[in-house]
Amino acid sequence: MDATFIQQFFNALQLGSLYALIALGYTMVYGVLLLINFAHGDIFMFGAFMGVLGSWVFGWGFVPTLILSMLATALLGVTVERVAYKPLRAASRLSAVITALAVGLLLENGMLALTGADPRKYPDDFFATQVYQIGSVSISTVKLLVIILAFALFVALFLFVRRTKWGMAMRAISYDKFAVPLMGVSQDRIISLTFAIGTGLGAAAGILWGVAYPASLDTYMGMLVGWKAFIAAVVGGIGDIRGAVIGGMILGFVEIFVPYWGQGIGVSSTWRDPVAFALLLIILVIRPTGIFGVARRQKV
Amino acid sequence: MLFRVNDLHVSYGNIRAVRGVSFEVDEGEIVTLIGANGAGKSTILNTIAGLLRPDAGEIVYNGVDLVPLDAHQVVQLGLALVPEGRRIFGNLTVYENLRLAGFQLGADELNKRIRRAFERFPRLEERRAQLGDTLSGGEQQMLAVARALVTGGKFMLLDEPSMGLAPILVQDIFEMLREINAQGTTVLLVEQNAHMALKIAARAYVLETGEIKLSGASTDLVRNPEVQKAYLGG
Repeated sequence: MDATFIQQFFNALQLGSLYALIALGYTMVYGVLLLINFAHGDIFMFGAFMGVLGSWVFGWGFVPTLILSMLATALLGVTVERVAYKPLRAASRLSAVITALAVGLLLENGMLALTGADPRKYPDDFFATQVYQIGSVSISTVKLLVIILAFALFVALFLFVRRTKWGMAMRAISYDKFAVPLMGVSQDRIISLTFAIGTGLGAAAGILWGVAYPASLDTYMGMLVGWKAFIAAVVGGIGDIRGAVIGGMILGFVEIFVPYWGQGIGVSSTWRDPVAFALLLIILVIRPTGIFGVARRQKV
Repeated sequence: MLFRVNDLHVSYGNIRAVRGVSFEVDEGEIVTLIGANGAGKSTILNTIAGLLRPDAGEIVYNGVDLVPLDAHQVVQLGLALVPEGRRIFGNLTVYENLRLAGFQLGADELNKRIRRAFERFPRLEERRAQLGDTLSGGEQQMLAVARALVTGGKFMLLDEPSMGLAPILVQDIFEMLREINAQGTTVLLVEQNAHMALKIAARAYVLETGEIKLSGASTDLVRNPEVQKAYLGG
Protein backbone atom coordinates (compact mmCIF):
# COMPACT_ATOMS: atom_id res chain seq x y z
CA MET A 1 0.00 0.00 0.00
CA ASP A 2 1.42 3.32 -0.96
CA ALA A 3 1.57 6.36 1.26
CA THR A 4 -1.08 8.40 -0.55
CA PHE A 5 -3.55 5.59 -0.18
CA ILE A 6 -2.99 5.48 3.56
CA GLN A 7 -3.27 9.23 3.77
CA GLN A 8 -6.52 9.17 1.80
CA PHE A 9 -7.73 6.46 4.12
CA PHE A 10 -7.29 8.79 7.08
CA ASN A 11 -8.92 11.65 5.18
CA ALA A 12 -11.90 9.40 4.54
CA LEU A 13 -12.02 8.30 8.16
CA GLN A 14 -12.02 11.93 9.25
CA LEU A 15 -14.77 13.00 6.85
CA GLY A 16 -16.77 9.85 7.56
CA SER A 17 -16.55 10.44 11.32
CA LEU A 18 -17.93 13.94 10.89
CA TYR A 19 -20.81 12.79 8.68
CA ALA A 20 -21.51 10.02 11.17
CA LEU A 21 -21.66 12.41 14.13
CA ILE A 22 -24.21 14.54 12.30
CA ALA A 23 -26.13 11.54 10.97
CA LEU A 24 -26.61 10.33 14.55
CA GLY A 25 -28.65 13.45 15.28
CA TYR A 26 -31.03 12.71 12.41
CA THR A 27 -31.34 9.07 13.26
CA MET A 28 -31.89 9.49 17.01
CA VAL A 29 -34.64 12.04 16.56
CA TYR A 30 -36.26 9.91 13.88
CA GLY A 31 -36.06 6.93 16.22
CA VAL A 32 -38.18 8.56 18.92
CA LEU A 33 -40.44 10.89 16.93
CA LEU A 34 -40.48 9.55 13.34
CA LEU A 35 -39.58 13.12 12.44
CA ILE A 36 -36.87 14.06 9.98
CA ASN A 37 -35.39 17.06 11.74
CA PHE A 38 -34.44 19.06 8.67
CA ALA A 39 -33.09 21.80 10.91
CA HIS A 40 -30.30 19.50 12.06
CA GLY A 41 -27.79 20.71 9.45
CA ASP A 42 -28.26 24.20 10.81
CA ILE A 43 -27.93 22.91 14.36
CA PHE A 44 -24.50 21.66 13.23
CA MET A 45 -23.76 25.17 11.92
CA PHE A 46 -24.92 26.64 15.22
CA GLY A 47 -22.49 24.36 17.05
CA ALA A 48 -19.64 25.52 14.84
CA PHE A 49 -20.57 29.16 15.49
CA MET A 50 -20.70 28.57 19.23
CA GLY A 51 -17.07 27.64 18.66
CA VAL A 52 -16.51 31.08 17.18
CA LEU A 53 -18.08 32.56 20.29
CA GLY A 54 -15.95 30.45 22.64
CA SER A 55 -12.67 30.87 20.83
CA TRP A 56 -12.77 34.47 19.59
CA VAL A 57 -15.11 36.22 21.99
CA PHE A 58 -14.26 34.40 25.22
CA GLY A 59 -10.73 33.50 24.17
CA TRP A 60 -11.18 29.92 25.33
CA GLY A 61 -9.18 26.91 24.23
CA PHE A 62 -10.45 23.83 22.44
CA VAL A 63 -11.84 21.76 25.32
CA PRO A 64 -13.88 24.45 27.11
CA THR A 65 -15.14 25.73 23.78
CA LEU A 66 -16.22 22.23 22.73
CA ILE A 67 -18.10 21.78 26.01
CA LEU A 68 -19.71 25.21 25.75
CA SER A 69 -20.81 24.52 22.20
CA MET A 70 -22.24 21.09 22.97
CA LEU A 71 -24.18 22.38 25.98
CA ALA A 72 -25.48 25.52 24.27
CA THR A 73 -26.50 23.57 21.18
CA ALA A 74 -28.18 20.87 23.24
CA LEU A 75 -30.16 23.60 24.96
CA LEU A 76 -31.13 24.98 21.55
CA GLY A 77 -32.15 21.52 20.38
CA VAL A 78 -34.35 20.91 23.42
CA THR A 79 -35.91 24.37 23.06
CA VAL A 80 -36.63 23.86 19.35
CA GLU A 81 -38.35 20.57 20.15
CA ARG A 82 -40.45 22.10 22.93
CA VAL A 83 -41.44 25.21 21.04
CA ALA A 84 -41.70 24.06 17.44
CA TYR A 85 -42.21 20.28 17.30
CA LYS A 86 -44.03 19.30 20.46
CA PRO A 87 -47.23 21.20 19.63
CA LEU A 88 -47.29 19.28 16.33
CA ARG A 89 -46.88 15.79 17.74
CA ALA A 90 -50.46 14.89 16.99
CA ALA A 91 -50.51 16.80 13.69
CA SER A 92 -49.65 15.30 10.33
CA ARG A 93 -46.07 14.33 9.65
CA LEU A 94 -45.96 16.88 6.85
CA SER A 95 -46.65 19.82 9.20
CA ALA A 96 -43.74 18.82 11.41
CA VAL A 97 -41.36 18.45 8.46
CA ILE A 98 -42.30 21.86 7.08
CA THR A 99 -41.80 23.34 10.54
CA ALA A 100 -38.36 21.73 10.71
CA LEU A 101 -37.42 23.31 7.39
CA ALA A 102 -38.60 26.68 8.70
CA VAL A 103 -36.59 26.29 11.90
CA GLY A 104 -33.55 25.62 9.72
CA LEU A 105 -34.12 28.79 7.69
CA LEU A 106 -34.59 30.76 10.89
CA LEU A 107 -31.29 29.50 12.29
CA GLU A 108 -29.37 30.14 9.06
CA ASN A 109 -30.66 33.62 8.52
CA GLY A 110 -30.74 34.52 12.18
CA MET A 111 -27.06 33.64 12.44
CA LEU A 112 -26.36 35.52 9.20
CA ALA A 113 -28.04 38.63 10.60
CA LEU A 114 -26.10 38.32 13.84
CA THR A 115 -22.64 37.58 12.51
CA GLY A 116 -22.54 38.82 8.92
CA ALA A 117 -21.72 37.06 5.71
CA ASP A 118 -17.93 36.78 5.95
CA PRO A 119 -16.72 33.22 6.36
CA ARG A 120 -14.99 32.61 9.66
CA LYS A 121 -12.30 30.40 11.03
CA TYR A 122 -11.07 29.52 14.47
CA PRO A 123 -7.93 31.21 15.84
CA ASP A 124 -4.67 29.66 14.61
CA ASP A 125 -3.74 28.56 18.11
CA PHE A 126 -7.21 27.13 18.80
CA PHE A 127 -5.97 23.63 18.26
CA ALA A 128 -2.20 23.57 17.83
CA THR A 129 -1.63 21.08 15.09
CA GLN A 130 1.39 18.92 14.62
CA VAL A 131 2.22 16.57 11.81
CA TYR A 132 3.59 13.14 12.56
CA GLN A 133 5.73 11.46 9.97
CA ILE A 134 5.51 7.67 9.99
CA GLY A 135 7.60 6.41 7.13
CA SER A 136 6.34 8.31 4.14
CA VAL A 137 2.88 8.80 5.66
CA SER A 138 2.16 12.06 7.41
CA ILE A 139 -0.77 12.40 9.77
CA SER A 140 -1.79 15.58 11.51
CA THR A 141 -2.92 15.71 15.11
CA VAL A 142 -6.12 17.35 13.89
CA LYS A 143 -7.02 14.26 11.92
CA LEU A 144 -6.26 12.04 14.90
CA LEU A 145 -8.28 14.35 17.15
CA VAL A 146 -11.33 14.20 14.89
CA ILE A 147 -11.18 10.45 14.46
CA ILE A 148 -10.45 9.58 18.09
CA LEU A 149 -12.94 12.03 19.58
CA ALA A 150 -15.65 10.91 17.17
CA PHE A 151 -15.06 7.26 18.01
CA ALA A 152 -15.03 8.01 21.72
CA LEU A 153 -18.41 9.69 21.30
CA PHE A 154 -19.76 6.74 19.28
CA VAL A 155 -18.69 4.30 21.98
CA ALA A 156 -20.12 6.46 24.75
CA LEU A 157 -23.41 6.73 22.87
CA PHE A 158 -23.61 3.01 22.18
CA LEU A 159 -23.00 2.22 25.84
CA PHE A 160 -25.55 4.79 26.88
CA VAL A 161 -28.22 3.42 24.58
CA ARG A 162 -27.42 -0.23 25.34
CA ARG A 163 -26.80 -0.15 29.07
CA THR A 164 -28.73 2.65 30.75
CA LYS A 165 -32.42 2.81 31.50
CA TRP A 166 -32.67 6.04 29.52
CA GLY A 167 -31.17 4.29 26.53
CA MET A 168 -33.64 1.46 26.98
CA ALA A 169 -36.47 3.98 27.11
CA MET A 170 -35.27 5.53 23.83
CA ARG A 171 -35.23 2.14 22.16
CA ALA A 172 -38.62 1.34 23.64
CA ILE A 173 -40.15 4.56 22.31
CA SER A 174 -38.87 3.79 18.84
CA TYR A 175 -40.58 0.40 19.03
CA ASP A 176 -43.88 1.33 20.61
CA LYS A 177 -44.65 4.80 21.93
CA PHE A 178 -47.96 3.75 23.43
CA ALA A 179 -46.67 1.47 26.16
CA VAL A 180 -43.76 3.63 27.33
CA PRO A 181 -45.69 5.85 29.79
CA LEU A 182 -47.16 2.68 31.33
CA MET A 183 -43.63 1.83 32.49
CA GLY A 184 -43.54 5.05 34.50
CA VAL A 185 -41.39 6.80 31.91
CA SER A 186 -42.15 10.38 30.96
CA GLN A 187 -42.12 10.39 27.19
CA ASP A 188 -41.45 14.13 27.06
CA ARG A 189 -38.32 13.72 29.11
CA ILE A 190 -36.95 10.97 26.92
CA ILE A 191 -37.67 13.01 23.81
CA SER A 192 -35.90 16.04 25.30
CA LEU A 193 -32.95 13.88 26.24
CA THR A 194 -32.78 12.49 22.73
CA PHE A 195 -32.76 15.97 21.24
CA ALA A 196 -30.10 17.09 23.73
CA ILE A 197 -27.79 14.21 22.81
CA GLY A 198 -28.42 14.37 19.07
CA THR A 199 -27.88 18.11 18.83
CA GLY A 200 -24.92 17.97 21.24
CA LEU A 201 -23.21 15.47 18.90
CA GLY A 202 -24.04 17.76 15.97
CA ALA A 203 -22.31 20.61 17.82
CA ALA A 204 -19.22 18.46 18.39
CA ALA A 205 -19.20 17.77 14.65
CA GLY A 206 -19.48 21.52 14.00
CA ILE A 207 -16.44 22.34 16.12
CA LEU A 208 -14.41 19.48 14.66
CA TRP A 209 -15.43 20.50 11.15
CA GLY A 210 -14.10 24.00 11.81
CA VAL A 211 -10.83 22.56 13.09
CA ALA A 212 -10.47 20.05 10.24
CA TYR A 213 -11.52 22.34 7.38
CA PRO A 214 -10.48 25.87 8.38
CA ALA A 215 -12.13 28.89 6.81
CA SER A 216 -15.21 26.83 5.99
CA LEU A 217 -17.46 28.37 8.63
CA ASP A 218 -20.34 30.27 7.14
CA THR A 219 -23.96 30.39 8.12
CA TYR A 220 -25.03 28.16 5.21
CA MET A 221 -22.43 25.48 5.92
CA GLY A 222 -25.10 23.22 7.37
CA MET A 223 -27.15 22.95 4.22
CA LEU A 224 -25.07 20.67 2.02
CA VAL A 225 -23.32 18.90 4.90
CA GLY A 226 -26.67 18.38 6.61
CA TRP A 227 -28.25 16.88 3.50
CA LYS A 228 -25.32 14.56 3.04
CA ALA A 229 -25.42 13.41 6.65
CA PHE A 230 -29.17 12.88 6.35
CA ILE A 231 -28.58 10.69 3.32
CA ALA A 232 -25.90 8.83 5.25
CA ALA A 233 -28.43 8.16 8.00
CA VAL A 234 -30.98 6.88 5.48
CA VAL A 235 -28.42 4.63 3.80
CA GLY A 236 -27.43 3.19 7.16
CA GLY A 237 -31.07 2.65 8.07
CA ILE A 238 -32.67 5.66 9.70
CA GLY A 239 -33.55 5.09 13.33
CA ASP A 240 -30.55 2.82 13.89
CA ILE A 241 -27.47 4.36 15.48
CA ARG A 242 -25.07 1.78 14.07
CA GLY A 243 -26.54 2.59 10.69
CA ALA A 244 -25.76 6.28 11.10
CA VAL A 245 -22.13 5.53 11.84
CA ILE A 246 -21.76 3.05 8.98
CA GLY A 247 -23.67 5.30 6.57
CA GLY A 248 -21.50 8.28 7.50
CA MET A 249 -18.36 6.25 6.97
CA ILE A 250 -19.53 4.95 3.60
CA LEU A 251 -20.23 8.47 2.45
CA GLY A 252 -16.87 9.72 3.73
CA PHE A 253 -14.99 6.94 1.96
CA VAL A 254 -16.88 7.35 -1.30
CA GLU A 255 -16.30 11.10 -1.34
CA ILE A 256 -12.58 10.72 -0.79
CA PHE A 257 -11.89 7.66 -2.90
CA VAL A 258 -13.97 8.49 -5.97
CA PRO A 259 -11.74 11.43 -6.92
CA TYR A 260 -8.64 9.56 -5.76
CA TRP A 261 -9.24 6.55 -7.98
CA GLY A 262 -11.00 8.58 -10.64
CA GLN A 263 -7.83 10.59 -11.14
CA GLY A 264 -6.05 7.44 -12.28
CA ILE A 265 -8.60 6.73 -15.00
CA GLY A 266 -9.04 10.33 -16.08
CA VAL A 267 -12.34 11.07 -14.32
CA SER A 268 -12.57 14.61 -13.06
CA SER A 269 -13.05 15.14 -9.34
CA THR A 270 -16.24 17.07 -10.08
CA TRP A 271 -17.80 13.62 -10.49
CA ARG A 272 -17.36 13.07 -6.78
CA ASP A 273 -20.88 13.94 -5.70
CA PRO A 274 -22.75 12.33 -8.63
CA VAL A 275 -20.84 9.10 -8.16
CA ALA A 276 -21.25 9.21 -4.40
CA PHE A 277 -24.98 9.69 -4.61
CA ALA A 278 -25.44 7.16 -7.39
CA LEU A 279 -23.76 4.60 -5.17
CA LEU A 280 -25.99 5.49 -2.26
CA LEU A 281 -29.03 5.20 -4.50
CA ILE A 282 -27.92 1.74 -5.54
CA ILE A 283 -27.62 0.72 -1.89
CA LEU A 284 -31.15 1.96 -1.31
CA VAL A 285 -32.48 0.12 -4.35
CA ILE A 286 -31.03 -3.09 -2.98
CA ARG A 287 -32.03 -2.38 0.61
CA PRO A 288 -34.82 0.21 0.71
CA THR A 289 -34.79 0.34 4.51
CA GLY A 290 -31.05 1.05 4.61
CA ILE A 291 -28.29 -1.24 5.78
CA PHE A 292 -29.49 -1.76 9.35
CA GLY A 293 -33.08 -0.68 8.90
CA VAL A 294 -36.01 -2.95 9.37
CA ALA A 295 -39.38 -2.35 7.82
CA ARG A 296 -41.59 -0.76 10.41
CA ARG A 297 -44.62 -2.75 11.33
CA GLN A 298 -47.75 -0.75 10.84
CA LYS A 299 -49.44 -0.60 14.21
CA VAL A 300 -53.20 -0.71 14.33
CA MET B 1 -62.81 1.62 49.10
CA LEU B 2 -59.49 1.25 47.26
CA PHE B 3 -60.67 2.38 43.88
CA ARG B 4 -63.72 4.17 42.58
CA VAL B 5 -64.85 5.41 39.16
CA ASN B 6 -67.75 7.81 39.26
CA ASP B 7 -69.88 8.94 36.30
CA LEU B 8 -67.06 8.63 33.80
CA HIS B 9 -67.52 10.04 30.29
CA VAL B 10 -64.92 9.54 27.57
CA SER B 11 -65.16 10.30 23.88
CA TYR B 12 -63.09 10.12 20.73
CA GLY B 13 -64.02 13.24 18.82
CA ASN B 14 -67.76 12.99 18.33
CA ILE B 15 -68.00 9.40 19.38
CA ARG B 16 -69.03 8.96 22.99
CA ALA B 17 -67.34 5.70 23.91
CA VAL B 18 -68.04 5.75 27.64
CA ARG B 19 -71.24 7.32 28.99
CA GLY B 20 -71.54 7.74 32.70
CA VAL B 21 -69.86 4.63 33.99
CA SER B 22 -69.45 4.10 37.75
CA PHE B 23 -67.92 1.16 39.55
CA GLU B 24 -65.79 0.23 42.52
CA VAL B 25 -62.99 -2.15 43.39
CA ASP B 26 -62.18 -3.07 46.97
CA GLU B 27 -58.73 -3.92 48.20
CA GLY B 28 -57.80 -7.53 47.46
CA GLU B 29 -60.67 -8.14 45.04
CA ILE B 30 -60.73 -9.42 41.51
CA VAL B 31 -63.35 -7.43 39.64
CA THR B 32 -64.14 -7.86 35.98
CA LEU B 33 -65.71 -5.69 33.32
CA ILE B 34 -67.18 -7.83 30.61
CA GLY B 35 -68.77 -6.79 27.38
CA ALA B 36 -68.64 -7.14 23.63
CA ASN B 37 -66.11 -5.61 21.32
CA GLY B 38 -66.61 -1.85 21.25
CA ALA B 39 -68.48 -1.68 24.55
CA GLY B 40 -65.86 0.74 25.90
CA LYS B 41 -63.86 -1.62 28.10
CA SER B 42 -60.41 -0.69 26.82
CA THR B 43 -61.32 2.97 26.79
CA ILE B 44 -62.13 2.79 30.48
CA LEU B 45 -58.85 1.08 31.35
CA ASN B 46 -56.78 3.45 29.21
CA THR B 47 -58.48 6.40 30.85
CA ILE B 48 -57.76 5.06 34.32
CA ALA B 49 -54.12 4.54 33.35
CA GLY B 50 -53.86 8.17 32.23
CA LEU B 51 -53.46 7.47 28.51
CA LEU B 52 -56.77 9.17 27.72
CA ARG B 53 -58.42 12.20 29.31
CA PRO B 54 -62.07 11.85 30.29
CA ASP B 55 -64.65 14.49 29.40
CA ALA B 56 -66.08 14.24 32.88
CA GLY B 57 -66.14 12.04 35.93
CA GLU B 58 -63.97 11.00 38.83
CA ILE B 59 -61.32 8.32 39.11
CA VAL B 60 -60.11 7.93 42.68
CA TYR B 61 -57.44 5.53 43.85
CA ASN B 62 -56.49 5.45 47.53
CA GLY B 63 -58.05 8.88 47.93
CA VAL B 64 -56.04 10.38 45.07
CA ASP B 65 -57.80 11.82 42.02
CA LEU B 66 -56.18 10.28 38.95
CA VAL B 67 -57.90 12.40 36.33
CA PRO B 68 -55.31 15.21 36.14
CA LEU B 69 -52.34 12.82 36.20
CA ASP B 70 -50.28 11.66 33.22
CA ALA B 71 -49.75 7.96 32.66
CA HIS B 72 -46.22 7.94 34.05
CA GLN B 73 -47.47 9.64 37.23
CA VAL B 74 -50.34 7.20 37.72
CA VAL B 75 -47.78 4.38 37.72
CA GLN B 76 -46.03 5.95 40.71
CA LEU B 77 -49.09 5.29 42.84
CA GLY B 78 -48.85 1.54 42.32
CA LEU B 79 -51.30 1.07 39.45
CA ALA B 80 -50.08 -0.89 36.47
CA LEU B 81 -51.91 -1.56 33.21
CA VAL B 82 -51.26 -4.67 31.15
CA PRO B 83 -52.45 -3.26 27.83
CA GLU B 84 -54.46 -4.98 25.16
CA GLY B 85 -52.24 -6.88 22.79
CA ARG B 86 -49.54 -7.10 25.49
CA ARG B 87 -47.41 -4.35 23.91
CA ILE B 88 -44.11 -5.72 25.10
CA PHE B 89 -41.02 -4.13 23.58
CA GLY B 90 -39.93 -6.58 20.93
CA ASN B 91 -36.57 -4.89 20.36
CA LEU B 92 -35.64 -5.17 24.03
CA THR B 93 -34.62 -8.35 25.81
CA VAL B 94 -36.82 -9.92 28.46
CA TYR B 95 -34.55 -8.50 31.15
CA GLU B 96 -34.55 -5.05 29.56
CA ASN B 97 -38.34 -5.07 29.39
CA LEU B 98 -38.44 -5.67 33.14
CA ARG B 99 -35.64 -3.20 33.79
CA LEU B 100 -37.57 -0.52 31.93
CA ALA B 101 -40.75 -1.41 33.80
CA GLY B 102 -38.92 -0.44 36.99
CA PHE B 103 -37.77 2.88 35.56
CA GLN B 104 -38.69 4.82 38.68
CA LEU B 105 -37.30 2.34 41.20
CA GLY B 106 -34.01 2.43 43.03
CA ALA B 107 -31.51 -0.35 42.30
CA ASP B 108 -32.34 -2.44 45.39
CA GLU B 109 -36.09 -2.36 44.95
CA LEU B 110 -35.73 -2.96 41.22
CA ASN B 111 -33.56 -6.04 41.66
CA LYS B 112 -35.86 -7.39 44.33
CA ARG B 113 -38.91 -7.05 42.12
CA ILE B 114 -37.20 -8.51 39.06
CA ARG B 115 -36.02 -11.45 41.16
CA ARG B 116 -39.58 -11.98 42.38
CA ALA B 117 -40.91 -11.77 38.83
CA PHE B 118 -38.39 -14.39 37.70
CA GLU B 119 -39.34 -16.63 40.63
CA ARG B 120 -42.94 -16.42 39.55
CA PHE B 121 -42.11 -16.95 35.86
CA PRO B 122 -39.06 -19.22 35.66
CA ARG B 123 -39.61 -19.47 31.92
CA LEU B 124 -38.86 -15.77 31.60
CA GLU B 125 -35.63 -16.16 33.49
CA GLU B 126 -34.56 -18.86 31.07
CA ARG B 127 -35.26 -16.41 28.27
CA ARG B 128 -33.91 -13.29 29.96
CA ALA B 129 -31.44 -12.43 27.19
CA GLN B 130 -33.91 -13.14 24.38
CA LEU B 131 -35.59 -10.32 22.46
CA GLY B 132 -39.28 -9.83 23.19
CA ASP B 133 -40.15 -10.43 19.53
CA THR B 134 -38.83 -13.97 19.73
CA LEU B 135 -41.15 -15.04 22.57
CA SER B 136 -44.28 -17.08 22.00
CA GLY B 137 -47.67 -15.46 22.61
CA GLY B 138 -48.01 -17.08 26.02
CA GLU B 139 -44.53 -16.01 27.07
CA GLN B 140 -45.24 -12.48 25.88
CA GLN B 141 -48.33 -12.40 28.06
CA MET B 142 -46.28 -13.62 31.00
CA LEU B 143 -43.77 -10.88 30.33
CA ALA B 144 -46.53 -8.29 30.12
CA VAL B 145 -47.84 -9.37 33.52
CA ALA B 146 -44.32 -9.62 34.99
CA ARG B 147 -43.67 -6.11 33.77
CA ALA B 148 -46.76 -4.82 35.54
CA LEU B 149 -45.66 -6.60 38.72
CA VAL B 150 -42.31 -4.80 38.55
CA THR B 151 -43.88 -1.43 37.77
CA GLY B 152 -46.64 -1.25 40.32
CA GLY B 153 -47.84 -4.45 41.76
CA LYS B 154 -50.52 -3.13 44.13
CA PHE B 155 -53.36 -2.69 41.68
CA MET B 156 -53.19 -4.41 38.31
CA LEU B 157 -55.45 -3.59 35.39
CA LEU B 158 -55.53 -6.16 32.62
CA ASP B 159 -56.96 -5.59 29.17
CA GLU B 160 -57.95 -8.83 27.44
CA PRO B 161 -55.09 -10.98 28.69
CA SER B 162 -56.61 -14.03 26.99
CA MET B 163 -56.67 -12.45 23.53
CA GLY B 164 -55.00 -14.53 20.87
CA LEU B 165 -53.91 -17.31 23.21
CA ALA B 166 -54.60 -21.01 22.93
CA PRO B 167 -57.26 -22.25 25.41
CA ILE B 168 -54.71 -24.13 27.50
CA LEU B 169 -52.64 -20.95 27.87
CA VAL B 170 -55.73 -18.97 28.76
CA GLN B 171 -56.22 -21.37 31.67
CA ASP B 172 -52.63 -20.76 32.77
CA ILE B 173 -52.99 -16.99 32.56
CA PHE B 174 -56.13 -16.98 34.70
CA GLU B 175 -54.57 -19.35 37.19
CA MET B 176 -51.62 -17.01 37.45
CA LEU B 177 -53.91 -14.03 38.02
CA ARG B 178 -55.57 -15.88 40.84
CA GLU B 179 -52.18 -16.52 42.44
CA ILE B 180 -51.05 -12.94 42.03
CA ASN B 181 -54.28 -11.82 43.62
CA ALA B 182 -53.85 -14.25 46.49
CA GLN B 183 -50.51 -12.61 47.21
CA GLY B 184 -52.15 -9.23 47.70
CA THR B 185 -52.52 -7.59 44.29
CA THR B 186 -55.94 -6.16 43.56
CA VAL B 187 -57.07 -6.97 40.01
CA LEU B 188 -59.38 -5.21 37.58
CA LEU B 189 -59.86 -7.45 34.60
CA VAL B 190 -61.40 -6.54 31.28
CA GLU B 191 -62.40 -9.51 29.16
CA GLN B 192 -64.40 -10.67 26.19
CA ASN B 193 -63.94 -14.18 27.48
CA ALA B 194 -66.75 -13.72 30.01
CA HIS B 195 -66.77 -17.39 30.89
CA MET B 196 -63.24 -17.37 32.29
CA ALA B 197 -63.49 -13.89 33.74
CA LEU B 198 -66.62 -14.71 35.76
CA LYS B 199 -64.89 -17.80 37.07
CA ILE B 200 -62.07 -15.96 38.81
CA ALA B 201 -63.72 -12.62 39.63
CA ALA B 202 -65.78 -12.13 42.75
CA ARG B 203 -67.81 -9.34 41.19
CA ALA B 204 -68.53 -8.25 37.66
CA TYR B 205 -69.92 -5.34 35.69
CA VAL B 206 -71.51 -5.88 32.31
CA LEU B 207 -70.80 -3.09 29.86
CA GLU B 208 -72.86 -2.36 26.75
CA THR B 209 -72.23 0.52 24.36
CA GLY B 210 -70.49 2.60 26.98
CA GLU B 211 -72.90 2.02 29.83
CA ILE B 212 -73.10 -0.46 32.67
CA LYS B 213 -76.15 -2.68 32.17
CA LEU B 214 -75.75 -5.14 34.98
CA SER B 215 -73.57 -5.70 37.98
CA GLY B 216 -73.29 -8.07 40.86
CA ALA B 217 -71.59 -11.15 42.21
CA SER B 218 -70.14 -13.34 39.48
CA THR B 219 -72.02 -16.35 40.76
CA ASP B 220 -75.31 -14.49 40.25
CA LEU B 221 -74.40 -13.11 36.85
CA VAL B 222 -73.42 -16.54 35.56
CA ARG B 223 -77.00 -17.66 36.23
CA ASN B 224 -78.57 -14.54 34.76
CA PRO B 225 -80.38 -15.51 31.54
CA GLU B 226 -79.48 -12.25 29.81
CA VAL B 227 -75.79 -12.72 30.54
CA GLN B 228 -75.93 -16.34 29.49
CA LYS B 229 -77.55 -15.44 26.22
CA ALA B 230 -75.30 -12.52 25.35
CA TYR B 231 -71.92 -13.54 26.72
CA LEU B 232 -71.78 -17.16 27.65
CA GLY B 233 -73.14 -18.70 24.48
CA GLY B 234 -76.04 -20.18 26.42
